[in-house]
Amino acid sequence: MHIPDGFIPFWQCAIYYVILIIALYFASKWARENLDEKRIPLLAVLAAGIFAIMSMNMPIPFGTSGHMVGGALVAILFCAPEAAVLVFTVVLIIQALVFGDGGITALGANVLNMAIIGGSVGLYTFKGLKGIIGIYGAAGVGAWLATVVAALACAIEMAIAGTFPLTIGVASMVLYHFFIGIIEAVLTVVVLLALNSFRPDLLPWNKTEGGQ
Amino acid sequence: MDKTDKYLIIVAVVICIIISCLSPFIASGDPDGLEKSAEDANVPEEIETAVVESPFPDYTFEPLGSIGEVGVLILGALLTLICGYGVAQIVKRRS
Repeated sequence: MHIPDGFIPFWQCAIYYVILIIALYFASKWARENLDEKRIPLLAVLAAGIFAIMSMNMPIPFGTSGHMVGGALVAILFCAPEAAVLVFTVVLIIQALVFGDGGITALGANVLNMAIIGGSVGLYTFKGLKGIIGIYGAAGVGAWLATVVAALACAIEMAIAGTFPLTIGVASMVLYHFFIGIIEAVLTVVVLLALNSFRPDLLPWNKTEGGQ
Repeated sequence: MDKTDKYLIIVAVVICIIISCLSPFIASGDPDGLEKSAEDANVPEEIETAVVESPFPDYTFEPLGSIGEVGVLILGALLTLICGYGVAQIVKRRS
């Protein structure tokens, strides 16, 4: 769901950049208070992994394709959508400037959808459901919902921009991301299970010795 | 950085390299959800206009074909790893 340059008028891009700057303020504040030295490698590795997995478009019905985004995963792992904002700002700037994937003018909107909205929906759905359906079920549902809600937000932004009519945009985006969300959910759970096997100390719910 | 963190980074780099080697050959070339929605809404393709000229548009490096795509993806993943690490070091917790 990388929005390219040209889909959003410049003045609206500016509004999304203001949102990005505010988000980065809160993200750096979060990092200054919470980002331990020992979790920095995890953050860097997630950024690289998200960059790589975004190249792996998988087919879904309707002659469409989609890839994992990872906003919910980062937010769940760090218990903070702010971490997703940091990761996605890095990934999306590199993708836009070096690889022409997603517009640099649309950076604010793309961070809003994938990190702020995707990360928040993923994390809070996870938190709300983990006591009911377990950690992995909750992470899967959170990741799926993050994808669908981010797609819905993207459709609304496209309607405000005058690029898509609201009804067609919402129907199409939600329909396709219903399926792309399944990819997101499966891969999010796979990564969490892998980390749980190899580096359980990095998962917030395995913290035994507390911080430091 | 302790040994387990170095191990984490090495494993992640290996996974990124594997994905980078596979993607150019097995990734679906169908339009993604947003592109397909734009088609559904009859958005003309010309409105998509890159503001900056990227050195490797759409993760390609023409002179080398598919090998170029693999190389460009590995380069991108490593660049992202380094930038992610650097940004995290800048904003990390101060005691």
